[in-house]
Amino acid sequence: MADVQQRLQALSEEYQKLQTELQNNIQSGQKLESQRQENKGVQKEFAGLDDGANIYKLVGPVLLKQDKTEAVMAVDGRLEFIENEIKRVDKQIKDVQDKSDALRTEIIRAQTEAQEQGAQTQVAA
Amino acid sequence: MSSPKGQQIDLASLSTQQLSQVKKQLDDELEHLTNSFQQLRAAQAKFRECLRSIATGVSSKADGKPILVPLTTSLYVPGKLADTEHVIVDVGTGFYVEKSTTDATKFYEAKVKELEANLKDLQSIIEQKSNNLRVVEDVLRQRVLSAGNAAAATA
Repeated sequence: MADVQQRLQALSEEYQKLQTELQNNIQSGQKLESQRQENKGVQKEFAGLDDGANIYKLVGPVLLKQDKTEAVMAVDGRLEFIENEIKRVDKQIKDVQDKSDALRTEIIRAQTEAQEQGAQTQVAA
Repeated sequence: MSSPKGQQIDLASLSTQQLSQVKKQLDDELEHLTNSFQQLRAAQAKFRECLRSIATGVSSKADGKPILVPLTTSLYVPGKLADTEHVIVDVGTGFYVEKSTTDATKFYEAKVKELEANLKDLQSIIEQKSNNLRVVEDVLRQRVLSAGNAAAATA
């Protein structure tokens, strides 16, 4: 009886851990998504500019002048990186979800087992 | 962002516990959405302020007039605008673009409009969610009441 209880506790602890992991992953996914939106906005803005437009980049407290091609490349590169990160995090989220689903069924099974055992000891008593 | 109703669930078929869980979830969602709403509002106000600044501060009217430039919140130095035609606009992610005042005005107007559309969408979502919440709360209240009556009847 105590054995099953212990196993149940270990399982639920693991489940909780997975849930926090899931939360963290979802949060970083949301952060990436907002970054993607912001970069998309900048990309759109750059697309509507003349080639001769003056573009500055904020480096620390100063504005440094930058070539348009350079700036466009920087934003494109960033977007690509973010897309990849989003894919990575999405996959992570799916993995953790699968894991926690499997764990949940296991917990339920352990619970029913514990109940059956409890019933049996009652009958025996 | 709105999730379409995947399936209809009869609220009456849920247990009181499940109902309060649904209520909590809706509460959380609603809080999150109202927060976003306020943030959008604040952003919109900021852009409007930029528009106002361009209109009053960087127009040809201001040409030649002396201004006080804040170096810190309590220290100002006199100065004058070198260029009343151009401004440098923050377009996000650390990039700034030099624009003519008319272009900058257009830029900010577009931003305000975009946010307006977002706010409208968000508002309808919030309304829908609060309706859902109200329904769940109603069912929950009836449930508690009838449970109380049943308990009184058996007593």
